[in-house]
Amino acid sequence: MRGIQIQLPSEFAVLEPLQIFIEGLGAAAGVEEDELSSLSVSVIELVKNGMEHGNGSDPGKMVTISVDSFDSRIRFFIDDEGTWAPENAPGFRPGEGEELLSTRGRGVLIARNLARWVEYGLTPEGKTRVTLIWPLN
Amino acid sequence: MKIHEKMKDGVLIISLSGKVIGGPDLMNVKTAFQNAVNQDIDSVLLDLGKVSWMDSSGLGIIVSGHTTLSRAGGALKILNATKKINELLIITKLSTIFETFSDETEALASFGE
Repeated sequence: MRGIQIQLPSEFAVLEPLQIFIEGLGAAAGVEEDELSSLSVSVIELVKNGMEHGNGSDPGKMVTISVDSFDSRIRFFIDDEGTWAPENAPGFRPGEGEELLSTRGRGVLIARNLARWVEYGLTPEGKTRVTLIWPLN
Repeated sequence: MKIHEKMKDGVLIISLSGKVIGGPDLMNVKTAFQNAVNQDIDSVLLDLGKVSWMDSSGLGIIVSGHTTLSRAGGALKILNATKKINELLIITKLSTIFETFSDETEALASFGE
């Protein structure tokens, strides 16, 4: 599986079809059935962050997901149209005290724990790109 | 996602089913918590046994319910969290906040303790 790319508008309505698509893609690539929902949760958390923080929830701005499958791993690039700084956003560690009871800010934390390999960088155009790599057994 | 509510032994049981994936549906859950407080119901059990998929949006709404009930002097507890939901609760340390149960009778009895 090489070179699959999809573009999504920044709106919640696309998330459920995306969840089904990601799990189908994961199954085709060899992700174990018990891990499929963890894969889709990880990808969707990062897509939602891109929609919200990168694209300001503007439905006219797109999130682009590029997928490549290799022998022992799947790689996702999740690109938004923004230039946000994830280091400054909550979610890189579990909350403490009152922060623990925030209703937001857990997406990156969850993705990093489920996928274990999540890195932030830039597209060639200087926009935010998240790389998620999922190992295949 | 669907929401079902019933009263049992003085406890409001809110059961969610299907995918908890964000969007306007979640406002209905938030409203259910607020309605409970408005009706002087201070014990709410959230049954997640039929939730097939949930992400941080679902956790956010559970925390919102906890805050709403706590401020009113009540409590929100969780019933039948699936293996995947328990994993999310542990990752986010919310497992330290919520009492979780796998048995409804035991969960209902805990509100009287």
